[in-house]
Amino acid sequence: MSHINPNFAEEIKRFGAVDFDLCFNCGTCTAICALSTNDESFPREMVRYSTLGLEDDIKSSLKPWLCYYCGECTTDCPRQANPGELMMSLRRWLTSKYDWTGLSGLLYKHLAAYIVGFVLIIAGLLFFGTRMGWNQDRIMHIGHYFEMVAIGSVFVVILLPNLIRMWYYTILKPGIKAPLKVYITSFSDLLLHMFTQKRSLDCEHSFNTKFKWFEHFILVIGYLSLLFTTVFLDWFSSQSTFVIVLGYVESAIIFVVTFHFVLKRIRKTDALHKFSQPSDWFFVIWLFLMGISAFAVRLFIDLNIMQNNFWLYMAHLTVLVQWAVIIVPFGKWTHFLYRSFAMFFAKIIEQNRVLTVKR
Amino acid sequence: MKQRIGVYICHCGGNISDYVDVQQLGKLMAKEDGVVISKDVMFACSDSTQKEIEQDIKEKQLDAIVVASCSPKLHTHTFRGVAIRAGLNPYNYTQVNVREQCSWAHSDRPMDATIKAYGLIRAGINRVAHSEALESIEIEAQKAVAVIGAGIAGLRAALDLARMGNQVYLIEKEDKVGGRVLTAGKLFSSGENGKDVIEQLVRQIKQMTNIQLFTNATLGKVSGSVGNYYMDVNVNGELLKLHVGSVLVTTGFDFYSPGEGEYGFNMSDRVMSLQDFNMLVEGSNGQLMHNGQPVKTIAYIYCVGNRQSKGENKYCSRQCCTAAIHSSLNVHEKFKGVKAFHLYRDIRTYGKHELLYEESSRKGDIYIRFDEKEPPVVEIKNGKPFITVKDYLTSKKELTLDADLVVLVTGMVPRSDSTQISELLKIPIGNDKFFNEVHPKLKPVETVIKGIYIGGACQGPKNISESVQSALSGAAKINSISRKGSIKPEPIVARVDADICAWCNKCAEVCEFDAVKPIESSGKMIAEINISTCTGCGICAPVCPVNAIEIAYFTDNEIESMIDGFAEPADIAPREEVKETASTGQSKSLAGYPKIWRTIAGAMDDKTLTIPEIAGLVNISNHEATWNVMTMNRYGFIEAVGLNDDETHYNYKLKR
Repeated sequence: MSHINPNFAEEIKRFGAVDFDLCFNCGTCTAICALSTNDESFPREMVRYSTLGLEDDIKSSLKPWLCYYCGECTTDCPRQANPGELMMSLRRWLTSKYDWTGLSGLLYKHLAAYIVGFVLIIAGLLFFGTRMGWNQDRIMHIGHYFEMVAIGSVFVVILLPNLIRMWYYTILKPGIKAPLKVYITSFSDLLLHMFTQKRSLDCEHSFNTKFKWFEHFILVIGYLSLLFTTVFLDWFSSQSTFVIVLGYVESAIIFVVTFHFVLKRIRKTDALHKFSQPSDWFFVIWLFLMGISAFAVRLFIDLNIMQNNFWLYMAHLTVLVQWAVIIVPFGKWTHFLYRSFAMFFAKIIEQNRVLTVKR
Repeated sequence: MKQRIGVYICHCGGNISDYVDVQQLGKLMAKEDGVVISKDVMFACSDSTQKEIEQDIKEKQLDAIVVASCSPKLHTHTFRGVAIRAGLNPYNYTQVNVREQCSWAHSDRPMDATIKAYGLIRAGINRVAHSEALESIEIEAQKAVAVIGAGIAGLRAALDLARMGNQVYLIEKEDKVGGRVLTAGKLFSSGENGKDVIEQLVRQIKQMTNIQLFTNATLGKVSGSVGNYYMDVNVNGELLKLHVGSVLVTTGFDFYSPGEGEYGFNMSDRVMSLQDFNMLVEGSNGQLMHNGQPVKTIAYIYCVGNRQSKGENKYCSRQCCTAAIHSSLNVHEKFKGVKAFHLYRDIRTYGKHELLYEESSRKGDIYIRFDEKEPPVVEIKNGKPFITVKDYLTSKKELTLDADLVVLVTGMVPRSDSTQISELLKIPIGNDKFFNEVHPKLKPVETVIKGIYIGGACQGPKNISESVQSALSGAAKINSISRKGSIKPEPIVARVDADICAWCNKCAEVCEFDAVKPIESSGKMIAEINISTCTGCGICAPVCPVNAIEIAYFTDNEIESMIDGFAEPADIAPREEVKETASTGQSKSLAGYPKIWRTIAGAMDDKTLTIPEIAGLVNISNHEATWNVMTMNRYGFIEAVGLNDDETHYNYKLKR
């Protein structure tokens, strides 16, 4: 038995949902969705839960993460109720529920919170620069270590507890008792989906889908390997030609692909780009800025003009810190993590069901 | 017995003659008893043939004619006109239908069609030989109308009838006019207030000198028939006698009143009907208040007292969905921050009312669908309604909700005193207990009693505009009678043989039109037929134990002679050249069609192929193959024979 919460519609609209209350439950969205199956059917069910405000049912569901937003449902909705955008908003809402700090929800709902965060970071960096007496070597050295520390602490302090919360809501609380063996056998799915986004290829079969997947794929690979190159191969101080060229290629991939992403959001030709939220803009723009500023920093180093243009490194560092402290733990970056874990959990639930039936 | 009969058999330009051997029939009919002239004609209905028949009647002094052509529905009046113009009584003409009943129905068996036509025409000749000349009846009709019920339908119809020049007596049982609309509040889609609409109508009515309005008036005894009804009306205890030509009944409906405890009704004052809720909304300003407490959530429960598959009212009242949603929107417009739940079975906001539904969804109203088998349960907890409902759109998930108010959206039921009216005016009552029209589509405002019309919601649930439309159509029907000043019914009515009749009342019992009454005649009681109300339906004739009743134009003599005529065996020679219509069984020739068609046909041979396969065999593009195969299919050279195994293409085959 669930109690109806008529105020949920307004809450979810603050996370970006548009007009979903127009839904008259025809189910066209579910029928047309290439990813929806008899066992895991969406988005109509999620639209219905949102209308009725059944928060517990949404919180325990992995379905919002199973959608890759091809936009077919929104295009074909006879009521223009935007089921696709609702699924996107539910993902945002879910990340705010998984996040123990509550900052995610604050940032999604208030653009001002983002801006305050960004400004605080700029102020902090200026303070740090002054304290360091604008000593380039020291700042770059600390900047390099910042990356390692940031990755580690963000993961341990924020992302890991959030993933455990997600696991609690979707597996433990609904009473799914899967043996460890199932976790181990399903683990390959986590890696597969995290690095390839293979499932998105099952969306509407078209060149557009495949190209979108390819862009996303090389972006993920580019991003992760640039992270590795800068942190572990110390790209900015490296003397190895291989490492230097590798870094150039990776950062170029990032800013070229994200530039295309920004363009698509401006042009709004696909359903998925029509309703960009601040979190969407910040994600693509900051990724673009990171790529291009990293590229430029290395270029300036190679051209030996870095000494006179140290502001560039400071700009790169600003973007990096804002990215690592705000967007990665509380912004859209988490979708990358939660989605792959959702796929992993879904696999566990499915395998566990098979096991239970066998018994 | 008629001795000089003319028979005309029509070719209908081939429609008949392609199958029925009309020439031979023409020759054969000339030999029948009493037939003076028998012809086959190309088009019996054409001007020249009509003139030819007129001439024949005059020259050959024909006393009866038979036209064997199409359905009497099409040309009875045409040939009656021919008879009248030639000085023959129109009832001495008989129409025989050899097109719809012979050539069209039996085009596959031309010989049998001819034999059947032979029998039918012979039956027609026999009948017309026994036909009588009938004189038409004319009855004077009063140019006055009684409109019963001064709701919006009655008011509007009275106004129109008066404008068309009729004296109108408007009879209302309440002390004020306006009925349900008076208290309906804001109306969709004009946004006017019901009260204003009624006041405006009353102003217009007061300007008309030929409308007399009686309030506090009840209907008493009614007698007479179409054109002349005599009715007693009791106005404030005073008896008034009216003499009118027709009656328009617009007595309206009652709202279903929920039973004790039905969805918590009468268990708490927070459960109320939609009408009471509308009054509450109308009376509140600034904030929606109920008994001094603010109302923030409202649950509307639909289909209350309607669509009960096992209960009294099986029908849907069709306007309540719109009414409830309209009320909900009024609430949103007037008060901020009110949440609405609509617990419905099906939403029926037809036509542009759909806009209201969309608007309400947009405003965030939550629609919860339940099934009749599992209706919502309303409990009163701490003085507030608490609802449990199984939502069919969330796989029957059990949901609970609190509501400050529960609004029961009740349907329409017939007026509690409608049986009284129906007894006085002899209006039949349908399965749903509303007044019954003759036919919902063909005669939507007429009752089986001539001159008594029904309009508005007394004949079934309707919204305001539908009520007014039906009442106005009743007004138009009434005006078509009163305008002429007289009625000319067909003389095809029942006749009583006064010598035989001994008044046993059997005929009066079966008569649906109240046309039989006993009267005294030469010292005994006999049945008398009121020819202005008799429709000649014939139901009285077979029930008469002494066979004292017969129907003019359908006398026993006529009918029996027809049977004799039809039953006699026909002696017909097969036509030399029987037109072949069925397919020849041979594949059609492709000569004269595009060359590519012959290539395709050659390639297909006996095989079953899809379009891409055909394209491959003939070495043309899929596009070209599609176009040609489709056209060949259209011309009947190729046929589609179902999907292929992969269900990706259709299979085609050459037609043999």
